[in-house]
Amino acid sequence: MGKVIVITSGKGGVGKTTSTANLGTALAMIEKTVVIVDADVGLRNLDVVMGLESRVVYTSMDVIEKRCELSKALVKDRRVENLMLLAASQRNRKDDIRPEQMQDICEKLKEEYDFVLIDSPAGIEQGFHNAAAGADEAIIVTTPDLSAIRDADRIIGLLQNEGIEPINLVINRLSATLVRKGNMISKNDVLDILNIDLIGVIPEDTGVIASTNRGVPLVHTDRSPGAEAYMRIARRMIGQRVPIPDMREDSFLDQIANWFSRNK
Amino acid sequence: MDNAIVKLRGYKDGLHLIINPKVSLNEVETAIHELLSEMNQSLSGTSIQIDMMTTPLTSDDLKELETHLTKSYDLVVSGVNVLDEKDESPILAAPTTHSISQELSLDTPTHVENAQVVRQTIRSGQTTACLTGSIILYGDVNPGGEVIASGDIVVLGALRGSAHAGANGSLSSVIIAMDLVPLQLQIGTYVNRPPLVQKPRGYPEIARVGAEGIIIVEEFIKF
Repeated sequence: MGKVIVITSGKGGVGKTTSTANLGTALAMIEKTVVIVDADVGLRNLDVVMGLESRVVYTSMDVIEKRCELSKALVKDRRVENLMLLAASQRNRKDDIRPEQMQDICEKLKEEYDFVLIDSPAGIEQGFHNAAAGADEAIIVTTPDLSAIRDADRIIGLLQNEGIEPINLVINRLSATLVRKGNMISKNDVLDILNIDLIGVIPEDTGVIASTNRGVPLVHTDRSPGAEAYMRIARRMIGQRVPIPDMREDSFLDQIANWFSRNK
Repeated sequence: MDNAIVKLRGYKDGLHLIINPKVSLNEVETAIHELLSEMNQSLSGTSIQIDMMTTPLTSDDLKELETHLTKSYDLVVSGVNVLDEKDESPILAAPTTHSISQELSLDTPTHVENAQVVRQTIRSGQTTACLTGSIILYGDVNPGGEVIASGDIVVLGALRGSAHAGANGSLSSVIIAMDLVPLQLQIGTYVNRPPLVQKPRGYPEIARVGAEGIIIVEEFIKF
C-alpha cells in the first residue's frame, strides 16, 4: 500500500506543479512506482511541465464519469520507468468533482503505486478540498515571502483540521545572497512562523524556467542546484536520512576572509 | 450630521446610535426626532444598536426609548451597549465591533478567574475564544490568527496575530506574550495597532490599558 501526498500552498505561483513534477520524477528515478495527479481541473499544467501534453487522451473526469478505466487514463512518462500521470480535465470546472470521487481514485491508485502525488490548485476552495480529500500526508510549498507564508499558514490550519499528518514543508526559491543582504526572509524565520517539519530547501535556480518550457523536469539536469535539492527531498521521502545542507549565506569573498581570520 | 445629543454612526456590524450621557429621556427623544427627520432616507426596518455611557437614564427609560424607536421610526434595536464612564471619547470613535464580544452579556463578571488552556498554534484564519475566562496558550498566534478571551490572554510563544482580552468590556484585563509582535491588540473596547516595523525584543511583554486610556506595552517582569 502506497502513500497519497498532496502538494499544496494556498498561494499560486510558488512552485506546486514544478515540485510535483520534480518529486514525482525523482522518486521514480530511485525506483519507486509513482503516479502524479493533476487536481487543477480547468487549469491543468502538470502535463505541460512533464512534456506529456500531446499524450493525454483521458482525464480523471473520464474516470469519474466511467468513460474509461483508471489504468487506461494514466499516461506513461517519456523518460522514466514507473512514472505515470493522471491529467485533469481542461473542459470542466473544479466543482464538477466531489471530494469522495477524488478519494476513490486515490484509494485505487495507492493500492498499486508506492507514491501518489497530488498537484493541488491554488486557493482554499473546492479545488483544494478535492485535492486534499484522498491525501494521507501533505507537502506545503512556500517561497520565502510574507504573502506566501501567510497563505501556507492558513493551508496548514485547514489540513490539520482534516487530520492530515505529517505536513512537511518545502521552501522554494531561497536565495542565499538575498538572505545575506537582509532582503529575503531566512529559512529559520519561515520555520519559526510555520512551525512544521522542513523536508527541503530549493535554491533559486534559473534552470527551472528552461526546464518548464522544455517540458523536461529539472531533476533530469545534471549538477543543477535545484535538481540536487529535489533529489535530496525524494530520498527523505523514502525514509533516508539526508541532511539539509546549510545554504552558504556568505559570499565567496566572505568565505575566504573567514578562512583567513580563523587561521590567524 | 453632527448632533450633540445623539449621533448615528455606521460600523462594520451595522448602525449605532450613540447617545450623550448627560441628558434626560425627553431631550434624547427630541434629538432623535430631529436627527432622523433631517435624513433624506427612511431607516424603516433597519437594525441599530444603542451605544451610551453610564447615564442618568434608568433601564425603564431605555426600554421606553427602545419602544419609541420601534414604534415611531420602525427601527429594530438589536442591542444596547452601555459603555464604561472612564472610556471617554475614544470609544465613541471606535466602539468594539467584534461579533463575539457582542454576544457577551454585560453582566458577565469582569474578574474571571478560570482559564482555558490551549495547546495549539493558532494559524491564519483560526480563532480560539474563551468567553468565560482567560486563555493560556502554549503555542504561537500567527498573523491572521485571533485569540479572544473575556479575561486575560497569556501566550507562551509568539503573538503575531490579533488578541482581544477583556472581550466583555473589562479594562483591567491584560495580554502577556513571550514575544509580543501583534498585528492588533484589543483590551476591552480599546484597540491598538502597534508600529509598522516591530522587532522581537527577546523578552516577554505585557499590554494593558494605561491611565490615559491607551494600551501600553512594557517589559513583563512581574505581575
